Amino acid sequence: MLLDAPRPGLGVLGSVHRIAALARLNLLLRLRDPGQMISYVAMPMVLMLVLRPLYVRALDAGATQVATGLMVMFSVFAISLAGNAILSERTWRTWDRLRVSRAPAAELLIGKTLPLFVVMVAQQSILLVYGCLAIGLPVPPNPAIVLMSIVIWAFALLAIGAALATIVRSHGELSVISDVGALTLSSLGGALVPLSLMPEWAQVAAPASPGYWALTMMQSAVAGDVAGTLRPAAVLLAIGVMAGAFAARRLARGWGRGGLM
Amino acid sequence: MLVATDLVKRYGEIQALDGFTLSVAAGEIVGLLGHNGAGKTTFVEIVSHLIRPDGGRVTIDGKPPAAVRGQVGVAPQHIALYPSATVREHLELYGRLSGLRRAALRSAIEDLAAVLRLTELMDRRTGKLSGGQQRRAQAATALVHRPGLLLLDEPTAGADLETRQAMLDVVKQRAGEGAAVVYTTHYLPELTELQATIAVARDGRVIARGSYEELAKDLPGEVRVTLEGEEELRISTSDPAATLIDLLHHAKRPISSVDVRNPSLDDLYRSLAVHDAP
Repeated sequence: MLLDAPRPGLGVLGSVHRIAALARLNLLLRLRDPGQMISYVAMPMVLMLVLRPLYVRALDAGATQVATGLMVMFSVFAISLAGNAILSERTWRTWDRLRVSRAPAAELLIGKTLPLFVVMVAQQSILLVYGCLAIGLPVPPNPAIVLMSIVIWAFALLAIGAALATIVRSHGELSVISDVGALTLSSLGGALVPLSLMPEWAQVAAPASPGYWALTMMQSAVAGDVAGTLRPAAVLLAIGVMAGAFAARRLARGWGRGGLM
Repeated sequence: MLVATDLVKRYGEIQALDGFTLSVAAGEIVGLLGHNGAGKTTFVEIVSHLIRPDGGRVTIDGKPPAAVRGQVGVAPQHIALYPSATVREHLELYGRLSGLRRAALRSAIEDLAAVLRLTELMDRRTGKLSGGQQRRAQAATALVHRPGLLLLDEPTAGADLETRQAMLDVVKQRAGEGAAVVYTTHYLPELTELQATIAVARDGRVIARGSYEELAKDLPGEVRVTLEGEEELRISTSDPAATLIDLLHHAKRPISSVDVRNPSLDDLYRSLAVHDAP
């Protein structure tokens, strides 16, 4: 018999241990390469500060627009964090090594993305707190609904980033798609200019962008409008589930291997 | 026991496996030889459950590969390490994924580090290691959970002497403890040192399997005799010792030197895998 070794850690506890082991390593990897992460926090902070006078003079809710708009835009940029983290597994050929382990694809994906999820939640939280302290964003009356919105948006972004990573062929391709996509989708969603000021065609097309739903959700959450928050939250959750399922399926099959890409 | 029967795998126009059949018993080391494209890596990937065969069957102790995930140790042909993680962090990851905890994990890591001569390198990032050191670190990730089946795909490719010896030592040790080992390589002397059963793959199937003695028994060796006056005779023979004795008895001129060469593993490899290759 070859397989007579003791096999502890099966079941839920084993699953938790494996996810924790993966998350621990991925957190280490993330902390050892923090440049991108820092820039996606620092850049919107500077831009918020510079653009604030313009927005406050031009719009009634100028501080809310500039704070939430740039927060959404730069959180979309963070898609590339998720994409690069997953794509690197293919570059380093480590994904196949993990697939040979006892951890099923879902555990691998959760363990891989959990640290990124924490990073994304932290990025958005820092930007919102900064918005309140330095930009004049009104303090949200219901922090719980704001936190829920941040969590849902981070989940959707991660899932989209993971799905994207399983489609592209290189880091360069991912960079182009995520940068151009982030600017296009967040602008179209009203992150730079309020929808009401945008051309009619853009207003019609806006709901096709996840950025539109994210901005609607964030602005409703900041205003304490629970009912206005739930609908976009549901849309983003659905987008996240679909993208996540797509990514998980591709990753489970060893995406990019012969005959599978 | 690993049993693969009539495996078939096709990538588009390329027939990677075409009736590949091989079995490996507990404690046995099978050295899988073959040219690039002979099907060795595809076989390893199917047994690892990384890809599915188009036909045929694989069982490990009677179970399909999917049912024994994590109980097989795999060291792939290419280096697959996180460049910014240390050797210790790699071993902790793969050990934990296999269910090892605390003291058992620490002990497994320290033991393996000693055998693979990694102790001094444990806290260095793998991206900063030499090629040979990376090879040893990679092998360690495959061995840390003491798998009953080891699949080592060219584990010494491009490795230095220290790495090669460390690898051979650990493979012999694990086989001695009862693990079944599939060891693909182009370095034929390694298989002699491992006393491995030899399987030769060509065009997606195993064309010969057995011990070196079994496979080489019909191969000719060579007797070289230098006669006085620098004249050299080369005689190809299936029984070099008998031929030499016969020559010594019947030589009419004094002999200044003799050289007897039994068939080598290279001869065997060439005769099976190269000579008839398309």
